Amino acid sequence: MATANPTVFLVMVNGQVESAQFPEFDDLYCKYCFVYGQDWAPTSGLEEGISQITSKSADVQHNLVWNFPIDITFKSTNPFGWPQIVISVYGPDVFGNDVVRGYGAVHVPFTPGRHKRTIPMFVPESTSKLQKLTSWFMGRRPEYTDPKLIAQGEGREVTLFQLSTHNYSISRLWAFSLAVFSAWNTLLHPTIKLAGSLKFQLKSYLLQSF
Amino acid sequence: MAEVHVIGQIVGATGFSEDSLFCKWGIHTGGAWKLLSGVREGQTQVDTPQLGSMAYWSHPIDLHFATKGLQGWPRLHLQVWSQDSFGRCQLSGYGFSHVPSSPGIHSLHCVTWRPLGGWREQLARAFVGGGPQLLHSDVVYTGADRYRLHTAAGGTVHLELAVILRNFSRYGVEC
Repeated sequence: MATANPTVFLVMVNGQVESAQFPEFDDLYCKYCFVYGQDWAPTSGLEEGISQITSKSADVQHNLVWNFPIDITFKSTNPFGWPQIVISVYGPDVFGNDVVRGYGAVHVPFTPGRHKRTIPMFVPESTSKLQKLTSWFMGRRPEYTDPKLIAQGEGREVTLFQLSTHNYSISRLWAFSLAVFSAWNTLLHPTIKLAGSLKFQLKSYLLQSF
Repeated sequence: MAEVHVIGQIVGATGFSEDSLFCKWGIHTGGAWKLLSGVREGQTQVDTPQLGSMAYWSHPIDLHFATKGLQGWPRLHLQVWSQDSFGRCQLSGYGFSHVPSSPGIHSLHCVTWRPLGGWREQLARAFVGGGPQLLHSDVVYTGADRYRLHTAAGGTVHLELAVILRNFSRYGVEC
């Protein structure tokens, strides 16, 4: 199969975002999208999707069930940039605004067959107590303007910085929508806290062609 | 040239006594290896566990190596640091693991250790924080000068890596 010529291979992924457990939140919906390298291109299926809004089940587990289908096929010549699925979960806060409840990302399975994955979900938060209070009050949480950033490895580290000296661009890292708060904070130190976990099943087929 | 793809995630860490943790990672290879795509080192975000005790990073790793020889097979080395509410960082552990050499998906659990100083340094670490660190971090993945160290155990870092090999059979290497 593998010859001296560069071969194109297809990866077909189908499955679902099954359910989530977020102990503190209810009435959530999720969005998924795929992040992949330059050598990859989707050939069929949907690259993005938004699910329905779901409420917690009444039983002990308090599952939030979406059962949201995922169906996509990629074409590539190089395993570098293997696709990742990025899932963002949103829900209403106490004032009714739509805020982000978690982001998570995982690589699409590498081997053919049935895979079940549970992924942790992160939400960025600031450690400054003043900013936490104002963001809760205003309904403007720190969130990524482009959720695809969570699938990248570079720039995830966070540095403590003071506005006067170190211009280590938070905008390069995460593009937080913090324009309202930047004047209030001399110490801006977002960290990530684990908000919940998401279970989903993926079946993937690796096809060699030609 | 044979090629190796290492794709996966640094999932998280368990067993550390401190809470807010981040990890600095790097991959060290021998002279015959060349990195074709991907970044060789990085640093995760700081994670403070809210549910349970595992700190999750889900930090993606995607590397593409080309090699002319098996010597210097990639070694992943890690430094786990903790950060307190004042923003001070303290070393929690060093660890390393060879990248698996068989193709497929691997779950790695990399144990870590941290250098202990004398009783003075240990007392100072308990009260003030800080603690001894290695001057040259290559001791983490080589065995050369380890006998000088007295260390204590840290927690465990969990990784999930998929290894894809290409053209190894052409050079007579069975994988």
